Amino acid sequence: MLKLGNVEFRSRLILGTGKFSDTETMLKAIEASGTELVTVALRRFNREKPGDDLCAPLAKLKNVRLMPNTSGAMNAKEAVRAAQLGRELSGSPFVKVEIHPNPHHLMPDAIETWLAAKELAADGFIVLPYIPADPVLAKKLEDVGCAAVMPLGAAIGSGGGLSMAEMIRLIIRDSNIPVIVDAGLRAPSEAARAMEMGCDAVLVNSAIAAAKDPVAMARAFALGVETGYAARQAGLMPKSDVAVATSPLTSFLKQDGSV
Amino acid sequence: MFLAVNGEKVEHRGDGTVLSLLAELGTTPEHTAVTVNGDLVFSKDWKNFKFNDGDTVEVLTFVGGG
Amino acid sequence: MQTLPDWLNPEPWLNTCVTAADVEQALGAESPDESTLAALLAPAAADFLEPMAARAQALTRRHFGRTIQLYVPLYLSSWCSGGCAYCGFASDRQTDRHALEFDAVEKELSAIKAMGFEEVLLLTGERSAEADLDYLRECVRLVALRFHNVAIEVFPMAEEEYRSLAEAGCTGVTLYQETYHPETYDRMHRWGPKKDFVQRLDAPSRALAGGLRFAGLGALLGLADPRYDMLALYRHVRHLQKTHWQAGLTVSFPRIRHEAGGFVPPHPVDEKMLAQIIFAFRICLPDVPLVLSTREGAAFRDGMAGIGVNKMSIASKTTVGGYGSAGSKEGQFDVSDDRGLDEFCAMLRAKQLEPVFKNWDGVYRLT
Repeated sequence: MLKLGNVEFRSRLILGTGKFSDTETMLKAIEASGTELVTVALRRFNREKPGDDLCAPLAKLKNVRLMPNTSGAMNAKEAVRAAQLGRELSGSPFVKVEIHPNPHHLMPDAIETWLAAKELAADGFIVLPYIPADPVLAKKLEDVGCAAVMPLGAAIGSGGGLSMAEMIRLIIRDSNIPVIVDAGLRAPSEAARAMEMGCDAVLVNSAIAAAKDPVAMARAFALGVETGYAARQAGLMPKSDVAVATSPLTSFLKQDGSV
Repeated sequence: MFLAVNGEKVEHRGDGTVLSLLAELGTTPEHTAVTVNGDLVFSKDWKNFKFNDGDTVEVLTFVGGG
Repeated sequence: MQTLPDWLNPEPWLNTCVTAADVEQALGAESPDESTLAALLAPAAADFLEPMAARAQALTRRHFGRTIQLYVPLYLSSWCSGGCAYCGFASDRQTDRHALEFDAVEKELSAIKAMGFEEVLLLTGERSAEADLDYLRECVRLVALRFHNVAIEVFPMAEEEYRSLAEAGCTGVTLYQETYHPETYDRMHRWGPKKDFVQRLDAPSRALAGGLRFAGLGALLGLADPRYDMLALYRHVRHLQKTHWQAGLTVSFPRIRHEAGGFVPPHPVDEKMLAQIIFAFRICLPDVPLVLSTREGAAFRDGMAGIGVNKMSIASKTTVGGYGSAGSKEGQFDVSDDRGLDEFCAMLRAKQLEPVFKNWDGVYRLT
């Protein structure tokens, strides 16, 4: 079971709810994915577009918890406020700390994220920070009480896949908390690869919302995550990149067993 | 009284409580969060909290996001 | 008898049946773990020494280039109340008891500095009146004035005591658990403060919490089943990597050899096994420096330099003092590689390895 804070999850696929063409498709995709945790964003209530409001539709889903994100916040102070509003609105202790000051590449601000995470963890939130794949930052966030770390695979919406694989491997190696790849995954095979590498879960949004058939893609991602996780548990046969020296390296060893 | 609600000047004709403003706007209270002059007003206080003329109000809900 | 904490216990990985196929898998492991190490330590892996060496060499080059870091030990004192069955300084051994006066320490340091070393490892026995914390702190201060790295291999102490040494300029602690097998540990440490297994086990963690930057771990090969001890040692390293993520860790492989007092190791480890162990550690801890001292002979050290091993002592004296003046008569153990620094460096260069005396300048350190 995936454990985030004091909450356990059977599904290791977390879904983002943005960019869907309509609410109905989004709801069907959520159902097809088997996810138990979805992110939502805070926006001003819009009288003209009441259909954008997700609260009512999401409330209908069984077994799905909400994780408000702090997107739109430009710094820690704003992110903390967004988190508090999100908790008030959803009743959920989960928060995805997401601070991306540049609206083009949407890369997360490491420093503001750490500041916000520290304050929110102390305030009892279950904090999942979205971060660059930086092994030092990941440990610092663990130190201040985050429930997991969410390194990006590639830029949001880029479909760049696991471009940060080596860094993510280092994060996984030394982490005491779950590692969740978030952003950039394009295909279920990449989700499987992330799980095989040792990730504890993945967060997917664009790859599903922008697929030709989002509901089917949601199901495919669920299968990919399950497959990758099962493969890791089963123990993969590793690649062999053993170089064999031209002249023996071990001829100096005393062969007679003398000590 | 007049309030700045979500960036727009709005005339409030109700009794000056949050609940009555939300009813005017047509939101579902359970699906709304409210800040007044930057501070979060908890839903348990909505019946009692009274606006002052000219307050800046944000009325928020959830939309899709990654 | 004390039971091992869960994070340390190697039992789940012992006695698994390891085949040649398992060893081949382990050789190429991208994310090595305990089962990888267990496979590489198994008897079946003894037939794979050459490919293990090749992989160890490739990983050593990737993480450390073609460098060998050099350091030198300075025994400050042979006073010891301890009862370690295997040690030349145990309290029931007939040996000179001596602690260097501070001006003698200065003479030793001048000689060591003149040789070219920048990293000094200070050693004492168990805490004694002649070589207590205050004495040690002053020695650390003297060394830190002139050398870039000062490490200590002394008695375990409290976190605040380690902190006071860190403030005096100490950068690292070396502390071998000797054996992670509690029954053997109890038998080997016949009397004295060292009988406390857990207090010793947790000491590196206290040292790191107290502000020391580096911790060197190890087990004394020969005391207990080497596979048991090496798996536990690996788990100890992994535990510290996760709980003290800013620490620099190293692993040493001291092996009981011939010793004046005649202690016969119950589980002797031969050179082939030692090589197998070191290759296995390099494969499973690719970026952790692995250390080989002058307990080992010249031919073995020459062969292992750069294949797994990337940190070594040389021109060592295990007597009290001995660099600036004649040392005490007996040393803690017999030095097997007694070459001088220049000769050793020439050997390294002939193997296309660069001797490195310091990794960075300590001038901007705030202590």
